[in-house]
Amino acid sequence: MVREEPRQTQQDSKQANPSENSQSLETLFSPRFKSVAAMAGWDEEALIVASLVVEDTPDRQSKHKKRSDLIFKTPPSTNSRRKRRAQRSSPVSTPIAPLNLEEEETPKKESENESKEQRIDVKEEKKIEPNEPNEQKPAVSCSNPAPALHCMDKLREELSCAICLEICFEPSTTPCGHSFCKKCLRSAADKCGKRCPKCRQLISNGRSCTVNTVLWNTIQLLFPQEVEARKASGALNNREVERQSPESGSRSSRRTRSIRPPMASSSDATVRRRAVISQNEDLSRLVSADASTRRRRGAPNQDEDAALALRLQREEFLESFRGGTHQQSRTTTPLSLARENLRAMASRAINIRMRSRPV
Amino acid sequence: MIGGGRPSSSSAAVTAAGGTWVSTTSVSASGKRIQREMSELNADPPLHCSAGPKGDNLYHWVATIIGPPGTPYQGGIFFLDITFPSDYPFKPPKVVFKTRIYHCNVDAAGNLSLDILKDSWSPALTVSKVLTAIRAIFTNPDPYNPLISGIARLYLTEKAKHDEIAAEWTLRFAK
Repeated sequence: MVREEPRQTQQDSKQANPSENSQSLETLFSPRFKSVAAMAGWDEEALIVASLVVEDTPDRQSKHKKRSDLIFKTPPSTNSRRKRRAQRSSPVSTPIAPLNLEEEETPKKESENESKEQRIDVKEEKKIEPNEPNEQKPAVSCSNPAPALHCMDKLREELSCAICLEICFEPSTTPCGHSFCKKCLRSAADKCGKRCPKCRQLISNGRSCTVNTVLWNTIQLLFPQEVEARKASGALNNREVERQSPESGSRSSRRTRSIRPPMASSSDATVRRRAVISQNEDLSRLVSADASTRRRRGAPNQDEDAALALRLQREEFLESFRGGTHQQSRTTTPLSLARENLRAMASRAINIRMRSRPV
Repeated sequence: MIGGGRPSSSSAAVTAAGGTWVSTTSVSASGKRIQREMSELNADPPLHCSAGPKGDNLYHWVATIIGPPGTPYQGGIFFLDITFPSDYPFKPPKVVFKTRIYHCNVDAAGNLSLDILKDSWSPALTVSKVLTAIRAIFTNPDPYNPLISGIARLYLTEKAKHDEIAAEWTLRFAK
């Protein structure tokens, strides 16, 4: 419907000069246009009505819209996109366009004209079944959410780790191209030999410890909730494992290192990290807590520190971004949840330190 | 995972340690994985197989396999016990036939000789895949790695007689 307005103004501007209503059809339409109209199957009456449409003043536009609809039987605007595109470029406007063809009748325009005429034919064929698009429309709108869900399921399946069967957490990709959680892959290599769990190809040790950044970022973007849940439970599980198996030598040595309060052992990396997020007290607490778990888990690695800093930065960015676009209520729940988790983690960390001090 | 074990024991350890945070949802990695497999088996069970925990213990399962048609085991319902180790899926589950079966790869105690349940185990394998593999040896016994060499020999030399005995056993024990 809106489409027709520019056309009409176009018509008006063209009709503004000499051609007043008294003019005959001969002067209104070029012979070429008339021949085209004849080929399109438009009779005299239709042409006259069309000329009336052209002559109508803009303040009665609502009226001609109706009339033009009747004349050309334009299917309702609930068309498929393809049809709309076909219309946009052509036929209804044909009565006007040929008007200024009078002056310059180049063969090029002629061919254009012919193509238009073809389109008219196409359109007329479509007129025969005007109900078709209406029938299609609800089907399309219904089937839209279903594929989206299906797609997410497929993605979930595709991005799952074959070892833990959950969404890959910090995925690591083997030389043979299979991805698993870094921790799962490491455990598999430790306990089941250095072969890919999926295809049994030999996997080198060094490669299996790097996180596939692109994949990991993709997973974080697609499944933020799952990733958050895993992060929280992962941090808790680490402590549990340590608590339950203090007998292993390497672990206990790490443990003694963790006795130091995390603040005292802050390297310049932690300082940098805290600078990044100094505004948020909870987040900085997360840094120290997370750093202490890292220290306990293994030697503090510059790369790991950098990765952590990046992650925190990204999280903070996402948080603020979400806050900017959505309501506050949506952001508060995950934030308060995260705070709660952090508080629990911190208190547990203190507990561990307290208990291990007399040892 | 290492000291871990059953979910009940790990959560008990948390409370016993006097932690400020009492865990109700904390489940070890193996438990989590088994739970996941359980829900996936319920959602999309493999053909003619079923499996699930025996009772409250997530680490003890019962499975059934229906003898595939076109084999002497046709129509039989074979029960199996599955026991998961605490470091599952890094170690294979123990699968034992509870129903007697005349098969060169299954001994009188119900133990199976299946490579994927021993050296060829991979953590990417699941109960569903294991059951499918077991069902596959119903159709294609592996007489070259037998547990009972007598049955394997008979299978290789007089398959008709082997099938006849197997069908008789199926009728007697599995129906």
